[in-house]
Amino acid sequence: MSAGTPPAGVVASLYRHRGLVGVLVARDLKARYRGTFLGYLWSLLNPLLLLAVYAAVFTWVIPARATSNVPYPIFLFAGLLPWLFGSGALLDSAIVLADNGPLLRKVVCPPEVFPAVTVLSHLVHHLLALPVLLAATAVAAGMGLLRFPWTVVLLPFALLLWVLAVGGLALAVAALAVHFRDLKDLLHNVLNLAFFATPIIYTLDRIPVRLLRRLIEANPATPLIEVYRDVVLLGVVPSLLMWAWAAAVALVFWLVGVWVFSRLRETIAETV
Amino acid sequence: MSERPAVRLAAVSKRYPMHTPRGRLHSLKGALLHGELWRARQVGRGFLALQGVDLEIGHGETFAVIGPNGSGKSTLLKLVAGILRPTTGAVEVDGRVTALIELGAGFHPEISGRDNAVINGMMLGLSRADVLRRLPEIVEFSGIGPFLDQPVKTYSSGMYVRLGFAVAVAVEPDVLVVDEILAVGDEAFAHRCLDRIARLQRRGTAILLVSHDLGLVEQLAQRALYLRGGAPVMTAPAGVAVARYRSDVAGEEAGAGEPAGSARRWGNGAVSLDAVELVDAAGRPLRLLASGESAAVRIAYTVRVPQEDFVFGVAINREDGSHVFGTNTELDGWHPERLAGSGEITLEFPRLELAPGRYLVDAAVHAQGGLAYDYACEALAFTVTAPVGWPGSYAPRHRWTPHGPAMSPPPG
Repeated sequence: MSAGTPPAGVVASLYRHRGLVGVLVARDLKARYRGTFLGYLWSLLNPLLLLAVYAAVFTWVIPARATSNVPYPIFLFAGLLPWLFGSGALLDSAIVLADNGPLLRKVVCPPEVFPAVTVLSHLVHHLLALPVLLAATAVAAGMGLLRFPWTVVLLPFALLLWVLAVGGLALAVAALAVHFRDLKDLLHNVLNLAFFATPIIYTLDRIPVRLLRRLIEANPATPLIEVYRDVVLLGVVPSLLMWAWAAAVALVFWLVGVWVFSRLRETIAETV
Repeated sequence: MSERPAVRLAAVSKRYPMHTPRGRLHSLKGALLHGELWRARQVGRGFLALQGVDLEIGHGETFAVIGPNGSGKSTLLKLVAGILRPTTGAVEVDGRVTALIELGAGFHPEISGRDNAVINGMMLGLSRADVLRRLPEIVEFSGIGPFLDQPVKTYSSGMYVRLGFAVAVAVEPDVLVVDEILAVGDEAFAHRCLDRIARLQRRGTAILLVSHDLGLVEQLAQRALYLRGGAPVMTAPAGVAVARYRSDVAGEEAGAGEPAGSARRWGNGAVSLDAVELVDAAGRPLRLLASGESAAVRIAYTVRVPQEDFVFGVAINREDGSHVFGTNTELDGWHPERLAGSGEITLEFPRLELAPGRYLVDAAVHAQGGLAYDYACEALAFTVTAPVGWPGSYAPRHRWTPHGPAMSPPPG
């Protein structure tokens, strides 16, 4: 009895259908802002407004401070952007196969394309939001609040690891959600918990309880977010150990995700 | 053209799992840990949608699948299209297969017809450049010209379907799987579709179609598979399969008390039964006879295609459908040699010892394997009379002999 698609087959299929993935990502983006007055400007405007809200709240309502001298709203924003990209992609992955059920049931269509498109669409939105962060950082640097982090040139590497991890998880979530509709709701809560278990609104060194700090350090999302924020905002070049840890986490997530998907691939069309 | 058939199904069965939450959990665990798919688990459980289908479709052949709803037609199509995998058996397809199962499936309402056409074409296996090159043809066929750059949600349902069909046929598949699509769209569109399908036929595309439009099936398909309850009833020239299906449906609609005369009949017509009569010893037709008299069933036939493989059969049934007696030339040891021209064959009963009542006779000529040349159900009705209304069907000669009881014999 066949054991389904080999994991490498899933990756090969994604590569073979890269053209299709490309047009589907473009379709998602086109469809998203179709009929809105501001169109693509929303991709820029949404994060800008979010930043404005955080800036207002954490400057005047609850004056908060990060460890370094970086203004807290920007600090929060730099952790929030990759997190929103990842969690958004995962939540959408949980429904993407069900949403494309007609295609999977009625057209011969490789299912791995859909979670990939979801992740890449979110990546594009993330890339459109990045200039807001960079501009805010530049403005803060201009005001003398911080030094502009030239380590930002390392961002592609940090982002690559994050995309790899999110991509692997998205594949697993998409395939599992076909069998467990509950996964979507479960995921929502797990992501909520993970948000607070990842140093996004705080830094590791501000956790008073040592055990708790160790626990949060062990959270696999922690190195990925830390590496990202180090290079994009804090101007710190992460240590080789930090890179290795983040890369290992990303690779494991990717491989496990691809493996889970490949195991369930053949059951998707008749279950979805 | 290759030697291989375009589509080959060998002993294909498909079982759908019946879901229970526990079952899902178990199967998921099994799939992940042991690499066993549902296919493995499915054997012996779940709903058997299709069983034991063998099929070969040649390049350039148009083949139809007919049968009532729920008979497994769409499952068969999806297996050939590669959307589903068989539970057991093998499905082989030679070349690129395109499925027209739902036209415009996956069109995104918010984006333009052009973009949707490109995406749809790419899903069907074309490259972006291929689709763009064929776009003029797609636009021409679908006739959506000025609306090409409008979002698809503004399209009428007809435009939607036309665009879907245009994209699918632009792919120029080696095997085209068509599910009931010509039921949508107007007359003009249906004609264009048929015209396009004819072009694909000439190109050597194998076409597998499902339709409830039996006239269309006869018109388009060379052969057909008649499915019922997931099992093949017959694979035959389209006309024969359609005739059989029609007669089955008519029989079901009429119910059990169907009068003789409006007979159910099927067969491929290679040999036809011209007359089925009950005759007496002198050869005169009978409708009424006394129990125990001699009688014969006389079958007159005409051969259109000479046969060396043939069996004549007769069955006698009660009106309620219960079988009384049946035999055929093969059962009785007659070996067929040659059947040509026209002639008669007679089955004689020196004593037809039937209980009183009405009887119906089926007559058939078919091949030894069962392929019907002409199968006439209830070709003949006759009534048996008797001095006493014995129950049952068999009325042998009999006599009571009381040795103990004191009884007086019947009068006369």
